[in-house]
Amino acid sequence: MRTLTLIVLLAFARTAPAYAPESSDSDAEAKILAMERVWGQAYLSKDPKALERILDNTFVNVNSDGRLQTKADVLVEVRTSTVLQFLTESMAVHLHGNTAIVTGIFLIKGVERGKPFAQRERFVGTWLRKNGQWVSIAGLVTRIGQ
Amino acid sequence: MALICAASLPVSAQAEAGDGDAATAIRALEHEWAEAQSRNDNGALDLIFDNALVYIEYGKLVTKGDYLLRVKSAKPSLQLIVMEALMVRTFGSTVIAIGSYRETEVKDGKSLLKRWRFVDTWVYENGRWMLVAAAATPVSK
Repeated sequence: MRTLTLIVLLAFARTAPAYAPESSDSDAEAKILAMERVWGQAYLSKDPKALERILDNTFVNVNSDGRLQTKADVLVEVRTSTVLQFLTESMAVHLHGNTAIVTGIFLIKGVERGKPFAQRERFVGTWLRKNGQWVSIAGLVTRIGQ
Repeated sequence: MALICAASLPVSAQAEAGDGDAATAIRALEHEWAEAQSRNDNGALDLIFDNALVYIEYGKLVTKGDYLLRVKSAKPSLQLIVMEALMVRTFGSTVIAIGSYRETEVKDGKSLLKRWRFVDTWVYENGRWMLVAAAATPVSK
């Protein structure tokens, strides 16, 4: 009987994946949404450290003025941020294997050149699972109501 | 009616799956998309748009169904689209296309010029490159 139990346990052990970073699509979605929220925190704290890890070195973004930004440009923007409030809403993730598309809206309030500003913008982001880690490879932001 | 001005590109874009040729395939597909739209050819667009496509234009989130319906019911207006730079980055079965275009629309006898920058995401699924996300924003002067 003990031998049978051992065989059954070993059989189950063999079916378990050796490396399972995410057990389901919803885990991947939750991870990506959490990393999207890191963006807002980075702009509020003017600390690009966390963002540095989740942006791929080839990352490109098109901002709401239609300007192309590299990873380095975004990190500088974070360090010099004048954002006082950063809220996200209606975020959704669409998974396509190792690629994820995130859409959502953010509301940003802050002060620029002494003048307060408030912008509501829609964004789309592309994430890629690289060596078991999700990294952001591209994004675009556009103003709502243009 | 839209007139597309771009460099001549290969017609068959779905013939390969290799990483090295992915950029060529995507350039061709970007061209096919513009061509199909200029002909209001929903059948051709249906083949290259993933069913879960997310499209953002004028700040609005548009589904594949919404987009195809809009193309089908588009009112005729003389529109000239001039493609500018197109940068293609490949990540295995994922490709990012970043580019810009100038759009001139003649409406009520007036000519309106707008410059746009876009980011498109293509994924290789079931032996085909499919557009899964596309977004464009106007370039500020």
